[in-house]
Amino acid sequence: MIAILVDGIVQGLQLSLMAVGITLIYGLGGVLNLAHGQFAVVGGIATALFVEAGVNPLVACALGILSAGVFGFVVDRTLLLPAYRSAGEERLLLGLLITLGLSFVVNGFLDYKYPNISLTLKLATPSFSVAGITVRTASAVAAAIAIVAFILLFAFLKGTLLGKVVRSIIQNEVGAGLCGINPGRIRTLIVTLSAMMAGMGGVVQGLFSSLGTEMGNELTSFALIVAVVGGVRSINGTLAAGVLLGIVNAFASYYVGAYLTLIILLGTAVFTILLRPAGLFAYRT
Amino acid sequence: MKKDRYLADYVTLLLVAVVLALVPLGVGDSAHYLRIVTLMLIYMAYAVAFNIIFGHTRQLFLCIGALAGSSAYLSVVLATKMFLSPWATIPLGIVFAAFLGGAFSYVSVRRGLGVIFVGVVTLVFSLIFHNLILGLRELTNGETGIETKALGVGVLQSGRGSYYVILAVLMASLVLYHLLMRSRAGTAFRAIADDEFAAELVGIDVTFFKVLAASIGSALLGAVGAIYAYYSGFISPTEYALVSVDIVVLVTLLLGGMGTLLGPVLGGVLFAVLDELVRPLGRLNVLVYGVLMIVLVITFRHGLVAALRKIIKVRIP
Amino acid sequence: MSALIAVEGLQVAYGDMPVVKGVSLEVQQGEAVAVIGPNGAGKTTLFKAIAGMLKPRSGKILYQGARIDGIRHCDTVKRGVVYVPAERELFPQMTVLENLELGAYTNYKSRRERLEFVLRLFPRLAERREQMAGTLSGGEQQMVAVGRGLMAKPSILLLDEPSTGLAPLFVSELYRQLSRLKAEGLTILLAEQQVPHALSFSERAYVLENGGIRLFGKSADLLGDPEIQRSYLGMV
Repeated sequence: MIAILVDGIVQGLQLSLMAVGITLIYGLGGVLNLAHGQFAVVGGIATALFVEAGVNPLVACALGILSAGVFGFVVDRTLLLPAYRSAGEERLLLGLLITLGLSFVVNGFLDYKYPNISLTLKLATPSFSVAGITVRTASAVAAAIAIVAFILLFAFLKGTLLGKVVRSIIQNEVGAGLCGINPGRIRTLIVTLSAMMAGMGGVVQGLFSSLGTEMGNELTSFALIVAVVGGVRSINGTLAAGVLLGIVNAFASYYVGAYLTLIILLGTAVFTILLRPAGLFAYRT
Repeated sequence: MKKDRYLADYVTLLLVAVVLALVPLGVGDSAHYLRIVTLMLIYMAYAVAFNIIFGHTRQLFLCIGALAGSSAYLSVVLATKMFLSPWATIPLGIVFAAFLGGAFSYVSVRRGLGVIFVGVVTLVFSLIFHNLILGLRELTNGETGIETKALGVGVLQSGRGSYYVILAVLMASLVLYHLLMRSRAGTAFRAIADDEFAAELVGIDVTFFKVLAASIGSALLGAVGAIYAYYSGFISPTEYALVSVDIVVLVTLLLGGMGTLLGPVLGGVLFAVLDELVRPLGRLNVLVYGVLMIVLVITFRHGLVAALRKIIKVRIP
Repeated sequence: MSALIAVEGLQVAYGDMPVVKGVSLEVQQGEAVAVIGPNGAGKTTLFKAIAGMLKPRSGKILYQGARIDGIRHCDTVKRGVVYVPAERELFPQMTVLENLELGAYTNYKSRRERLEFVLRLFPRLAERREQMAGTLSGGEQQMVAVGRGLMAKPSILLLDEPSTGLAPLFVSELYRQLSRLKAEGLTILLAEQQVPHALSFSERAYVLENGGIRLFGKSADLLGDPEIQRSYLGMV
């Protein structure tokens, strides 16, 4: 039981890592990124390519994550510009369709150019014991990466001026403008950051199973569910929702089996959304 | 006098029917090309359905393939496992798809959950559909799929015959579209697409009309999806995947023009031509469609019909 | 003496609907000018255009002699044109302190002294500095909004209906603080529905009706004008 719970929490942290990128991009740009899973895939495949080229795996991971960031930067500065020029629902729809198109482009390209590449990272020791419990090294590493990433993120958001500016834009874009804050440049920074976090998620996925192009849409779906349940504008909510859904996922997989698990996950998501439409932690105005 | 208002529509419908009916003659004996044009009709019909759901009431259903596939699989599985005639199971598939689509719509509208919710839930549903088909292996035969040739759908087996049956279905859907848009529902749709809040204030039952649009559109998807399964001779999950159906429908409507009668037809023709041009690229076609989708959404959002309307001052439906 | 802010023949529309139909006004340095008028007259639209939140269809907006129409609102702040909207637009999940500090974004390094100034002006905010802005009362939120605007070291403060949703006691207190600011030399352009306060506070006023200036002049004169008295002061 405990093992499943721990597994669930670790999975949940991974989900949150992916989902927080969606929350940030939506909060800052008003765009729901349907190509988020593709950011992760780009990170993972890039890492795999670097490893194949003989680069040290640790460095390869870093480079892969960086590649995801660069990709995100380019997308924000080019494809998303037309969306940013609109406002409100128009922007949302435009963003959805553009990112959806992008997901097809990335899938199509990677399928064609690197059809058989996938990222699998093997760790030196498959598992170790802590206080009598056997822990999979992969889970420990994944959890550590996610936790460190979140701590850094929260420190950034709460402690630095730039972080406060980011929060202010998420909470009230108009208000931020009234303070003289130009959301455009900050948006690009955050999209890049979110893409890197997705890249991190992709690399971490490579620890557990192999990450290939076909996983892109699935990663996007999971990230979307978590983000929507937690409240698309709330970072705390995303973290909580991710862990919650991770635990549900772990238990459901164990007792019910992988295929039905996704239905249960969606069912839980729909249920919580019906109860609290704005999300678990959304601010009630 | 009222008849004149729809003269353009009637003429269009007639022209479309005649032109499309003549296509097989132009194709001659080539079974390959006959299949291509038949598929073109199928995708046109899918596009008409999506036109009703998204083009007119802005419900971004990202599960077109999954809805069509749900109906198709229900119909085929019931036919094979319970030895029922496909003609009996197709209606069941249609009802199932209509129910699903209506349910997604109802939940989102009732809770005021907006585009995000609909998009996310339907996208996830696409994934669920795919996984479910793979997971319920005993019923669906997973990735390999099920053969539908032996199920006795006679007329859908033959080359030309199937083309004309499917053409009849397409024409029926276009006529349905026309009747729907000229009814009170059509007016409601236009109001809702323009400004949902204002429509509510004026007394339009937004929930009812949105769910209606979603249900009718989904029912149509179910019908075409099931017919396609029997026409093809086999059913498999990839035939109903996002890259097989949804992207095609989106590009078709972006090319042709959403919210119009001719949009799906013109878009369908353009897409069929494009598909042929892109065929030598093999699996790279998905990339081309993705790029095309992005470019169209940014620059040519309103489609060919809107562009033609500006050039030719005649009313094109 | 050229005006700090001059608006010439401004036309602003929402889509196809014209709201501000040819408005000209000016505000001199150190003045307090009021724009009064009924709901829907176009006061907020006018202010939003001056602040750079809306693009005017035609006309000019001049600040210190240079044109600012068409400049985005985040850029006008740095020049000294600060807008405080009726909706306040605070950051609900950030503390009063954080809200105020962000107001000094364009001058972040020197925020401490501005902060002392603002907190002296609104002692109630000093008490509530660690409270989430979303949990404050209407009057307190208005103080934060004005305070945040002041943090940007404005040359001119555009206040849109600052008395919205405030209890009468708060309104008086607010105008007391505004008078103090005026005494310190701040230029203020004010839109108000609460005509008596606006006219006693300002030196000059414009009456905006239906998108156009119907009347303008010294506030004292307007107070005595029988039409104004009838339409806006409820006197018969």
